[in-house]
Amino acid sequence: MKKLIISTLMAALSVCTVVAQQSNNSSALASSVKKLDQAKTVKDYQALEKEFSGIAVAQKTNWLPYYYAAFCNASIGFLYQDNGESVEPFSNRGESLAQKAKSLLDTAKQKKELSELYTVFSMINQSRVFINPMTYGPKYGPIAQQYLNKAKQLNPDNPRVAFMEAWFKYNTPKMWGGDKDLAKQLATKSLKLLQNEPSNGEMPHWGQTEDTELLNKYKN
Amino acid sequence: MKRNAINHFISTVLLMLTAHFSYGQYHISGTVKNDAGEPVPLASIKLSQRNEGTKTDTAGFFDLTTSAKEKIILTVTSVGYKLFKKELIPGDSTAHLDIVLLSNINTLGAVTISAGSFEASDKAKGASLTAIDALTVAGSNHDITLALRSLPGAQQIGEQEGLFVRGGTGAETKQYIDGTLLKSPNYPGVPGIQQGARVSPLLFSGILFSTGGYSALYGQALSSALILESIDMPPKSSAYFVAYLANIGGGLQKLAHDGRSSYGFNISYSDQTFYNTLVPQQPSYFAGPKYLQGDANFRIKSGKAGMLKFYTNWSSSEVGMLNPDIDSASLRSSYHVKGVSSYNNLSYRNLLSENWKVDIGMAYSYNEVNTLYKVLNQQSQPVILTAEPLMYSSSQSDIKSDFAQARIVFTRFLSRNQAIRFGAEHFYSRDHGMSNDSTIALTDNLTAAFAEGDIYLSDNLAVKAGLRLENSSVLHQLVVAPRASLAYRLNGNGQFNLAYGIFYQEPENDLLYHTSGLTFSKATHYILNYTRKANNRFFRVEAYYKRYDDLVKIGPVTNNSGNGYAKGAELFFRDKRSVKNLDYWITYTYLDTKRDYLYYPYELRPSFATPHTATAAIKKSFPDINSFVNISYAFATGRPYYDFLYNQPGNTTRIADQGITKPYNVVNLQIAHLTSLFSNWKDKPISGFSIGVNNLLGTNQVFGYNYSYNGNNKLPINLPARRYFSAGIFFNFGIDRTQDVLDNNL
Repeated sequence: MKKLIISTLMAALSVCTVVAQQSNNSSALASSVKKLDQAKTVKDYQALEKEFSGIAVAQKTNWLPYYYAAFCNASIGFLYQDNGESVEPFSNRGESLAQKAKSLLDTAKQKKELSELYTVFSMINQSRVFINPMTYGPKYGPIAQQYLNKAKQLNPDNPRVAFMEAWFKYNTPKMWGGDKDLAKQLATKSLKLLQNEPSNGEMPHWGQTEDTELLNKYKN
Repeated sequence: MKRNAINHFISTVLLMLTAHFSYGQYHISGTVKNDAGEPVPLASIKLSQRNEGTKTDTAGFFDLTTSAKEKIILTVTSVGYKLFKKELIPGDSTAHLDIVLLSNINTLGAVTISAGSFEASDKAKGASLTAIDALTVAGSNHDITLALRSLPGAQQIGEQEGLFVRGGTGAETKQYIDGTLLKSPNYPGVPGIQQGARVSPLLFSGILFSTGGYSALYGQALSSALILESIDMPPKSSAYFVAYLANIGGGLQKLAHDGRSSYGFNISYSDQTFYNTLVPQQPSYFAGPKYLQGDANFRIKSGKAGMLKFYTNWSSSEVGMLNPDIDSASLRSSYHVKGVSSYNNLSYRNLLSENWKVDIGMAYSYNEVNTLYKVLNQQSQPVILTAEPLMYSSSQSDIKSDFAQARIVFTRFLSRNQAIRFGAEHFYSRDHGMSNDSTIALTDNLTAAFAEGDIYLSDNLAVKAGLRLENSSVLHQLVVAPRASLAYRLNGNGQFNLAYGIFYQEPENDLLYHTSGLTFSKATHYILNYTRKANNRFFRVEAYYKRYDDLVKIGPVTNNSGNGYAKGAELFFRDKRSVKNLDYWITYTYLDTKRDYLYYPYELRPSFATPHTATAAIKKSFPDINSFVNISYAFATGRPYYDFLYNQPGNTTRIADQGITKPYNVVNLQIAHLTSLFSNWKDKPISGFSIGVNNLLGTNQVFGYNYSYNGNNKLPINLPARRYFSAGIFFNFGIDRTQDVLDNNL
């Protein structure tokens, strides 16, 4: 009888620890994701990348922290678009984190998730173009475009896909298919899609700041 | 109840006893992975305070036993990762650890040494130069050496082709393609008029312009090496066609479906006759100038990392011009040159194993130059003069040169981007022909062996040290040339570079035809520079000292008693960021040089060097109207000129007159615009036009003076026409060569 009581207590205790650990993990992810909404500078993104990497290692099988860590590297790449000397390590690291995230996804079933991930792959390849647009552009520009097309196929209502489309249309010269009017339409569409997007835990929900920043360029 | 307690007590005691008897072996095993979940092989595992450790295997597993009894600290290290530490207390018989290493993002990458050199490669980052950046400088006329004059170190020499670097002549700069020497980069020389380059610069994806202190893998250039790498594989198949005022050309490049091989060819023909009727030239041309050039290539990938490349270039040229004779008002001096040349280059590289690489290069070139100087009277009949000195105004030569080279270089890769390279090469050259009535015959075999190491003394300190041995058959001499350079990277994007080296070069062929007993000429370089690259801007300042020894002197005896020095400082600043769509660089060069060589009576400032030179290259694109504007500007202080009187008493030379020319001041402009013809075609072709003017402001450039024999008549050496105009259209089929097309026509 005593044994029974002791072993039951032991079991209950171990369950509690596991539950406690899990809720620690998801609250860590939630808090980092919240911080991501406020991130602006390279330093912010570097600190967040460390947090997401730590969470990714602790959780082991969740694609999301790897996605966010890759997203942080892609964001740093974009912040460095006029600093071609510094971009490459972040593009490379972002790529390997995104690959790891992909390996944790069921590519047949998790279409929405894969669409988010391909958007980040597109950003990472575009960041490589910033290293030196004349020589890296012809190789990585088309790859970035291909990833974005795949992301759109998987989820045509993804507002982040619409934003990246707007970004490409705005920043590409007319000769190679750029179209500033279309870019404005796409950014507006992206904002609308964001408003209609249901909040979904820690799933990616960025895009508002980016769309607003792009649309502000038209005010001048 | 009592029985249970006793049982309990006995089992506890037994447990304690057995624990005591297990001879204290603590067994630790586990895996080491990075935070992307990948195993880290060969990570170093150490137990502190004990001389025990192990390494992880290729799957990241490790297994370690220790007889430690007290607390130990386990550390795991691996390049590129932060140090991992864990405290362990030996107690349980085994411990299993799943270790995750956090990466130490090396945001800096490997240090590369850049003393005395500008690298322009397709892998360039930020504001570092790419090959296209160098080649699209306005006014470069598809000649790499003209494009590179917009970089510091090169002098603005308008009347001759070649690169005159830091007080050295054009012959002291050599060009190499994929390791082998390009013997005659330009068409045969015409007095006072720059001749174009034979090889199209679009062949190259990498240009290393070394203004001194270059690697032990190259030699036989006292001042500078221009090390060129050809493109490996075109991105897609394409064809192009261009038509300009003075030349037309076309080409085709085909890439195999599997992307593992390609072939292509180009043809271009240039005839300035029509252009010369539109724009009057100073010389009166009776033949050409015309140039015909064709080239072909194939490239084949082999295995995972192998590459075989073949390039062949064939050209022929003819220029015939008449100028007033400097010695006699009633006569005219005629110069007629015809040239035929072929250049062939085969190169192969491959990985022999994970750590070994081999590069093989072979080149063969044939060059024939037929030159005829005549003096004509008013009726255009040749005049045979017999009185000294005018009898020397007529001359004729026909010289054929064969050149062959074979080269092999082995590279052994070491850890952390370090490497050791060694190899050997052999140059065979044979000149034969006639010069006036005497026969020319010269055969030379030069063999060289070299070795060089790239070592990192720390993450921020890189050293390159090498040695080169050269042996010449015609000089009967063996020399040893050490080379060393160093780079020290500072915190915050700056870097110091240092270079030292000894460089040998054989005397020019025309000196060797009739003289024996000459030796190698020698130059010693000392270079120090500081560079800073960040935010798409590139700043560089460099200072150097060069000592020349054993230069050839022509006098009562022709020997190697000449010498000289060159010292100076250079500045380079490039900014791709401050203004959108604007890319510019500015340079300043200070040069102080004197030499005693050839006919000079004593140490003089040579006529191809000037103290101050400044250049600027500006490129602005207007993407909304698909147009590009390139401007280049060069300013240089005047160059010295001398009237040498040869054959004075005692077989010496005397200077009868000397001076400094007026400063050099030239602006070049090029504009290109892309149109969209045939935009309904499936593979929309790229087309457009480009117009350019060299010496836009029409300033009168004087590069030096020619003196008549009695010194009374002094004629300036100018450009053949104040301005040079180019205008043409280009078509390209195949989306990939777009950037190429722009650069070809800018």
